[in-house]
Amino acid sequence: MAATLCGKLLSPKGWLPRTQSIRHGSKAVTRHRKPMHFLKQKLLAVTQYIPPKPAAPPGAYPRETPVESPLMRLLTRDLEGVFRDCKMVAVAQNSGSTSHDMIMLKNRFHKHDIHVRLFPNQVMRSFLSKSIYSNMAPLFIGPTVLFVSKEPKVKEMLSTLRLSPQMSLLGACIDNTLLSAQGVASYAKLSSVAVVQGELVSGLSALASQTGTLLQRHPTHLTALLQQYAAQQAQAEKAT
Amino acid sequence: MAAPGKASVVLKAVKKIAVHFCPFEANVRSTREFLVMVGSERARSTNLNCEVISMVKHDKSEPVVDVTYVDGERLLMKGANLTSKEMLSAFQARCTAKDPQAKAAAK
Repeated sequence: MAATLCGKLLSPKGWLPRTQSIRHGSKAVTRHRKPMHFLKQKLLAVTQYIPPKPAAPPGAYPRETPVESPLMRLLTRDLEGVFRDCKMVAVAQNSGSTSHDMIMLKNRFHKHDIHVRLFPNQVMRSFLSKSIYSNMAPLFIGPTVLFVSKEPKVKEMLSTLRLSPQMSLLGACIDNTLLSAQGVASYAKLSSVAVVQGELVSGLSALASQTGTLLQRHPTHLTALLQQYAAQQAQAEKAT
Repeated sequence: MAAPGKASVVLKAVKKIAVHFCPFEANVRSTREFLVMVGSERARSTNLNCEVISMVKHDKSEPVVDVTYVDGERLLMKGANLTSKEMLSAFQARCTAKDPQAKAAAK
């Protein structure tokens, strides 16, 4: 009676399923190691906690000395030869020249016996730090190119560089003297050594030659000049 | 997550880029790197009328990048305390802001 009453009360609101299945096959907690789904295995393997290794105390291991590769040694020797033989070593930054531009530049330089050399910046800096040219080290950042020649041919180099706008001249080492870009330009404007020597000699000998020509004049002319000079001196003394 | 592609430098809206630096100073690395990126063949091919000029000085002055756009606007970047990436991103942001305007005006 109670069930029928309950049935009448409950039936309009909800319903109970006819069959209720009870899982009896696989259990979550087993006595043996339950095989894990492969995806779950992979996930756990990937997200496993790896504790940080404690760092070794500071003096525990000796420091690894940087091993110089044979290529670096070869390039350093090459560089030493370049600096020893060439009087002019110019540094330029190469901001985007194509291979065609480089070929044309090398061709133009070849006519004036100027060579284009490329060295890795690391080799360059290590060499410069040990040599007397250490002040050139800050120039070697980014893509740099060396223009070397046995004789300092600055005018030709500047005229050729004007034709390739991607090359910016940074500095040069001419006759073991470090020059900036403006220094190189003013060096190019200098006349040759012979001409400068001639000018110096002519300037120094000008005075002596003047005295010589004066003494070769007629003695009366000379005495007149001397008397006029003496009179001028006396006037100046009177005025003071 | 897909890696972002290499952003190429587009100089369509740029009239002139002048880079002034003193190579013997210690703070010119970023400016020189910026010059390399902007003066590369790929960047210059986007606009053949754009001039990229580098002025090498020796007066301990600060490195400066002076960009003149086609519409007359000027961007002055003092590279002493900036990285090349920051300079490039600022430059590209302004270029892209101007470029779609030109495209839309052309359409």
